[in-house]
Amino acid sequence: MFVSDFRKEFYEVVQNQRVLLFVASDVDALCACKILQALFQCDHVQYTLVPVSGWQELETAFLEHKEQFRYFILINCGANIDLLDILQPDEDAIFFVCDTHRPVNVVNVYNDTQIKLLIKQDDDLEVPAYDDIFRDDEEEDEEHSEDKDDGSEPSEKRPRLEEEIVAETMKRRERREWEARRRDILFDYEQYEYHGTSSAMVMFDLAWMMSKDMNDMLWWAIVGLTDQWVQDRITQMKYVTDVGILQRHVSRHNHRDEDEENALSVDCMRISFEYDLRLALYQHWSLHDSLCNTCYTAARFKLWSVHGQKRLQEFLADMGLPLKQVKQKFQSMDISLKENLRELIEESANKFGMKDMRVQTFSIHFGFKHKFLASDVVFATMSLMESPEKDSSGTDNFIQALDSLSRGNLDKLYHGLELAKKQLLATQQTIASCLCTNLVISQGPFLYCSLMEGTPDVALFSKPASLSLLSRHLLKSFVCSTKNRRCKLLPLVMAAPLNVEQGTVTVVGIPPETDGSDRKNFFGRAFEKAAEGTNSRTLHNYFDFSVIELKAEDRSKFLDALISLLS
Amino acid sequence: MFCDRAIELVRELHRAPEGQLLAFNEDGLRQVLEEMKALYEQNQSDVNEAKSGGRSDLIPTIKFRHCSLLRNRRCIIAYLYDRLLRIRALRWEYGSVLPSILRFHMSAEEVEWFNHYKKSLATYMRSLGGEEGLDITQDMKPPKSLYIEVRCLKDYGEFEVDDGTSVLLKKNSQHFLPRWKCEPLIRQGVLEHVLW
Repeated sequence: MFVSDFRKEFYEVVQNQRVLLFVASDVDALCACKILQALFQCDHVQYTLVPVSGWQELETAFLEHKEQFRYFILINCGANIDLLDILQPDEDAIFFVCDTHRPVNVVNVYNDTQIKLLIKQDDDLEVPAYDDIFRDDEEEDEEHSEDKDDGSEPSEKRPRLEEEIVAETMKRRERREWEARRRDILFDYEQYEYHGTSSAMVMFDLAWMMSKDMNDMLWWAIVGLTDQWVQDRITQMKYVTDVGILQRHVSRHNHRDEDEENALSVDCMRISFEYDLRLALYQHWSLHDSLCNTCYTAARFKLWSVHGQKRLQEFLADMGLPLKQVKQKFQSMDISLKENLRELIEESANKFGMKDMRVQTFSIHFGFKHKFLASDVVFATMSLMESPEKDSSGTDNFIQALDSLSRGNLDKLYHGLELAKKQLLATQQTIASCLCTNLVISQGPFLYCSLMEGTPDVALFSKPASLSLLSRHLLKSFVCSTKNRRCKLLPLVMAAPLNVEQGTVTVVGIPPETDGSDRKNFFGRAFEKAAEGTNSRTLHNYFDFSVIELKAEDRSKFLDALISLLS
Repeated sequence: MFCDRAIELVRELHRAPEGQLLAFNEDGLRQVLEEMKALYEQNQSDVNEAKSGGRSDLIPTIKFRHCSLLRNRRCIIAYLYDRLLRIRALRWEYGSVLPSILRFHMSAEEVEWFNHYKKSLATYMRSLGGEEGLDITQDMKPPKSLYIEVRCLKDYGEFEVDDGTSVLLKKNSQHFLPRWKCEPLIRQGVLEHVLW
C-alpha cells in the first residue's frame, strides 16, 4: 500500500526499532541512503546497511538477516516485483520500499499489511483498479464444477440441474471474459518500464517535513536527481519541474550569499543554481577534451570522422578561442576567456545546430579550490561504483562510492573524477570504432551491436550502468550519423562480454531515440519472453529488467526469438 | 635528626610517577611510629619532671619534641591519604577488579577501604538513571554521541546487541550501534569507525 503520511506511518514507526537497509547499486540510491543515514544518526535509530546489486544478492542477504530484524527498508529495489513471493518473509516482517522503478507490481500496491511503498502517488502511476485484477469468488466456482463432474446424480434433480447448468455456463463465460480482460490490463500495465521521482528527493522531502533538512542533504538530493537526468531515466519536463522544486530549497538554505555584510566564510559549503554548459567534467578537464568526450557535442559534430574534427576546429575558431588555451587544463585557461565562456559557447553552438548547450543544474562550493557541478559528482560516483578493479565481494566499490559523497573524503571524489575521465574517453573511442567499422547492424525491428572480447577497455563496459551509458550514446551518435530515416527510429540492443571464463555477455536494450520520448522501455518483458521461448540460459538479476546476462552460445537463438517477437 | 624517616616516606611518594601505587612501606611507617613513641615517652617523663621538679628549662625541649611529634603525624597522614587517593583513582581506571600486582602493593586496611569505596560508588551509580542505573565510570568526558557508525572489515558472524537480538556482521556492511558495544571490536580490528 502507498504510505500517505511519511512521517507518521514510516519514520515514527521505525524510530524506536532496529532496521535493515537494503541499498541498490546506483547513485540515486546512494544519495537517498546518505540522507536517510543522516536522519537516523540524528535520532539514534540503530540500523544496518547492506549493499545489494541484484535480486540474488537481495535474497541471500535477506535470508541471512531475517532472524534479527522486523523492519526492512529497500532503496531503489523491490517495487517492480512481487516481494513477498521472492523473499518469503515471516508474517510480522514489514517492508518499506522507496524505489524509482515503475510500474509498481500490483501485489505490492494492494498488500495492506506487510508492504509499505514510500512513493508519492503521482499521476503517472496508473495502477489498475483492485476489482479488475483480484477476485474472491474463485472457490465457489470450483465447488460447483466439482459437483457437476460427479456422474452419479439422481434423475429427479435433472430438470433443476439444467437451469443450474445454464447459470454455470454463464458464470464461467463471464469469468473467462474477466480473466482475458485482466490479462490485457496487466499486460498493458507491465509492458513498459520507466522511472519515477528520484528516491533521494523523496527522502529529502521527508527530512523537510520533519524540519531536519540540511544543506548537505539538499546536495545529495540534487545529485540523485542529476543522476536520473544523466542516465536518461526521466523526461526533460520532469527534470525541469524537479529542478524548480529543488531550486526553492536551495534559495531557502543559501540566501546569505547575496547579502554582502553577512556573507558566509569561504570555507562554508554553498550550493548555487547554475545555468551551465552540459559539457561533462569541463571544469576538471580541458575544454577541448570535454567537447570531444561529451556525447551531446561528439554526436552533433560527428567527431569520429575527419570532417567532424574539422567542424570542431571551425567551432573553436568561431568563438575566437585559441587551440593552445582550449587544450590546457580549464583552471589554467586565461581568465579573460573564461569570463563569458558560457554565453559565447551557447551562441556558437546555436549556429552549429546545438540548441540545448546549456542546462539547468546546481553547483557546490567549499573552500577556495573545491567547486563541483552536480553532474561531475554523478560521473565520479558512477565510475567509482563500477570500476573494474578487483572486487572480492562486490561491495568494496559500493563503499568507496558511498564514502566519496561525503565532503570529508575529497581524495576519493578526485579519484572518481579521474576514473570518470577514463570512462568517458573509452566510451567515445568505442563509439567511434563501432561507427567507423559499421558494427551497428539493423536486425529489422531493432539495431544490434556487439562488442568483441579483444576490444580495448571492454572490461569497463561489463557493468549495467556503464554499458547502458555507452549504448545510449552509441544510439544517439548513430542517429546523427545515419541517413536511413527508418533506422533513426529503431531501438538498440547492445551486448558486451561479461566473464570470459564462464562465457557470459551482458545484454542491454535501449528504447528508440526521439525528441519527445517518454523514456519507456519495453525490453524487460521482451527479454523475458524471448528467453522463455528459446530456453536460453539467462540471468535476470539486475533490478532494471532491461539489462540481463546471457550465455554467449545462446546469443543467436535469443536474438532470433527477439526479432520474431518484436516484428 | 628527628622526622627524617617521615620525610623519607613523603619523598618516596613525591618521586613516584603520577598515579602509580608503590608497595606499602610497612617498615618506614613502623620506624616513624617507633620514633614518635620514643619522643612521646621522653616528653612524658620530662613533663612530669618539669611539673613536679619545677625544672622550667626543660620546657623548650618539650616543645621541640612536641613539634617533632606533630610533624611526624602530619607526614604519616599525608602519606596514607595520598595513597588512598591513588587507590581511588585506580577504581576509575581499572574497574572493580584490580590486577593482582596492585593488590599486593596495598595494605590490608587499604584493601578494606577500597572495598568500601567500591560499594559506595556502586550504590550511587545504581541510584542514578532510573531502574538500571548508570555506569559513570565508562566515559570520563561526556561522549559526543551514544551511537557510532561502524563498518565491518571482515566477516565476524553474529554479534549480540543490548536488547538480546543480534546483528550479523558481514564484510562491508555498515551499522549504527551503541558506542560501548563496538569499542572492543574496534580494538580487535573487526569494525572500523566511520567518520563523516
